[in-house]
Amino acid sequence: MFESTLRSLDERIMAFLDSPWNVVLAALGLFALVLLYAWAPYVRLVVKSMRRNPLRTLLTGSATFLLVMVITMIWSVLWLLDLVTAERSRDFKAIVTERWQIPSQMPFSYERILEDGGATRRGDVKPQNVMSWQFYGGTLDPKKSRENLVFFFALDPAKVLTMMDEFRDLNEDEHLEMQKMVRAVQEDKRRIVLGRDCLKRINKRVGERISLFSINYQGIDLDDCEIIGTLPEGRLTLFGLMHRDRLNNALDAYERKNGSPHPLAKKSLNLVWLQIPDTETYGKLAEQIANSPSFADPAVKVETASSGISSFLDAYRDMLWGVRWLLVPAILATLSMVIATAISISVRERRIEMAVLKVLGFGPTRILFMVLAEAAFIGLVSGALSAGGAYLYINKAMGGLRLPIAFFPPFRIPLEALWWGPTLGILTALVGSIFPAWSARSVRVSQVFSKLA
Amino acid sequence: MGPIVEVGNLHKFFRRGSEQIDVLKGLNLEVPEGEFLALMGPSGSGKTTLLNLIAGLDTPSRGTIRVGDQLISTMGEGKLAAWRTRHVGFVFQFYHLLPVLTAYENVELPLLLLPLSAAQRKQQVTTALELVGLTDRMRHRPGQLSGGQQQRVGIARAIVTDPTILVADEPTGDLDAHSAEDILNLLVALQKSLQKTIVMVTHDPRAAARAARILHLDKGRLVRETGPDSAESLFQRAVQPD
Ligand SMILES: Nc1ncnc2c1ncn2[C@@H]1O[C@H](COP(=O)(O)OP(=O)(O)O)[C@@H](O)[C@H]1O
Ligand SMILES: [Mg+2]
Repeated sequence: MFESTLRSLDERIMAFLDSPWNVVLAALGLFALVLLYAWAPYVRLVVKSMRRNPLRTLLTGSATFLLVMVITMIWSVLWLLDLVTAERSRDFKAIVTERWQIPSQMPFSYERILEDGGATRRGDVKPQNVMSWQFYGGTLDPKKSRENLVFFFALDPAKVLTMMDEFRDLNEDEHLEMQKMVRAVQEDKRRIVLGRDCLKRINKRVGERISLFSINYQGIDLDDCEIIGTLPEGRLTLFGLMHRDRLNNALDAYERKNGSPHPLAKKSLNLVWLQIPDTETYGKLAEQIANSPSFADPAVKVETASSGISSFLDAYRDMLWGVRWLLVPAILATLSMVIATAISISVRERRIEMAVLKVLGFGPTRILFMVLAEAAFIGLVSGALSAGGAYLYINKAMGGLRLPIAFFPPFRIPLEALWWGPTLGILTALVGSIFPAWSARSVRVSQVFSKLA
Repeated sequence: MGPIVEVGNLHKFFRRGSEQIDVLKGLNLEVPEGEFLALMGPSGSGKTTLLNLIAGLDTPSRGTIRVGDQLISTMGEGKLAAWRTRHVGFVFQFYHLLPVLTAYENVELPLLLLPLSAAQRKQQVTTALELVGLTDRMRHRPGQLSGGQQQRVGIARAIVTDPTILVADEPTGDLDAHSAEDILNLLVALQKSLQKTIVMVTHDPRAAARAARILHLDKGRLVRETGPDSAESLFQRAVQPD
């Protein structure tokens, strides 16, 4: 346990050192610490100045804290959306769905043809790997109430660990566990694996057997499904996985029994993933598939994962644009103004003090920087607390932000937020305190101490 | 020994709207090194303005000011600030200590501007506080000190950099007679033991009487010079109620 913690720490440090930016940032941080030490008396002076009006300092800090937190949350969502919509140009997946219909329902035979990339001529390319997805919804209740409903992905167990991103970052134990479950399902197709929350919802335990009454495949009910394990934490926590043969065999059995095929017999393939090595191959594949006579009825389309999400997010595009370019700047402007107000009041209150410092020989520039430093300090501390708080609270206590945007899992605050927060805090504080600092800089000693003032 | 302060044909005017106020109208003045000089005069006669100019807090409209070997009348704001740190100790009427800092930290303040180690700063602050007799109060904040004690801290802060001149604007103006006497004794002692040059503005004749020389200012002109033992001073001291 301890050893593995150490090892993962070591890995993190190595990963950290991998990026030159990280090293530069760390060096800057160290440099800042050295300066801080060299300027210890100034730092003390600045910190003590803030103690003069603890309430105002606290209010300024709280406003910064709140607003930085809001921005951290907004940016976390935008950041993730950017990440998933950014095109990857190597080792990415393409999604094949029915062209004209949502939900997409294709014949299962399409999967075989897609394995060859719909190749018809010599020189045609193939995807590196292919994975079929079939959606099966079933409830535990023969009356088909929706309460004990489970959504299954019926798939080829062999592809679970090779194709699914969510299982790529498993630790060693989880990986072994997953391998064991895959093998078990391959041995006995009646076995199923459920997400933790799904299991909780239907109030069952690992080892129990359930019967499923389908809600989307009329008459395709599946008895005697043995729950052999749970999926690792992740976005599949409300779903179940089953062997695709279980569904396909049941469809075949239906035809034998009823003399005619199930109405959905040729519509049971919902989507197919293709693993693609690079964009060039993607272009060729997309063209092959588009031109292949095998995919005439129904026609299919090929998209990259991100373009699929992008087109989905199109519906939210105006809103996201507004959030990014109107809401966030508005919040930042508000924050700067709050800080500007607080700092101007405190500078005005301390006009005499600034003048005294000038008499003692503190130059205009030094006074300017002391005021800026005071603001930056408040910004830094509140920004850091805010981002750190958001990171811990939202990720650990809330398990992420649950937003009703598409099928996204709860949004987590990325580790990057830990530097957004302090940076935002400092920058807005600096912007807000430029004018007050300038006026402190320009305090005229003779005026402050003359009888006029 | 030449004069440590030399003021030649000094003019200062302020602008208030379209109106120009001539506050100082061609002053000439010399202060020998180690002298305790008092500036007297009615309110509004330009005492503070003159003192601020000598201390390098403001620049003259015309004329020259030399302090030590530096012509300060032509220096810019930033250069003057640096010059003040080393060469001027300023004592205010209302002490003007920073309320959030302890007596020790207040005295240390000007030293932050000099290239000194923490140990050197400590040495100098302790010496200054010893000279004003406040070593037992150095962890106190200004709010926890009496007016007289605060003014001692103010004086310690003024002498901690060992400046060329010490300037004081009505240093006893806010104190009761007893504390005022204390502060004057302290200034005289500093001048005697450390040979400090002191320029003090006051309108209290008894305070002025402690100085070696008194210059009288009226409407921006030097009108008279008296010694502490002049008939005028003796007379004024005699009629002053105690
Ligand atoms: N910064 C200033 N701007 C305009 N007028 C000033 C300024 N400083 C002083 N004065 C004017 O100059 C005159 C002399 O002021 P001051 O030197 O403070 O007199 P005092 O002898 O009482 O110390 C006063 O009339 C005052 O109003
Ligand atoms: Mg005055």
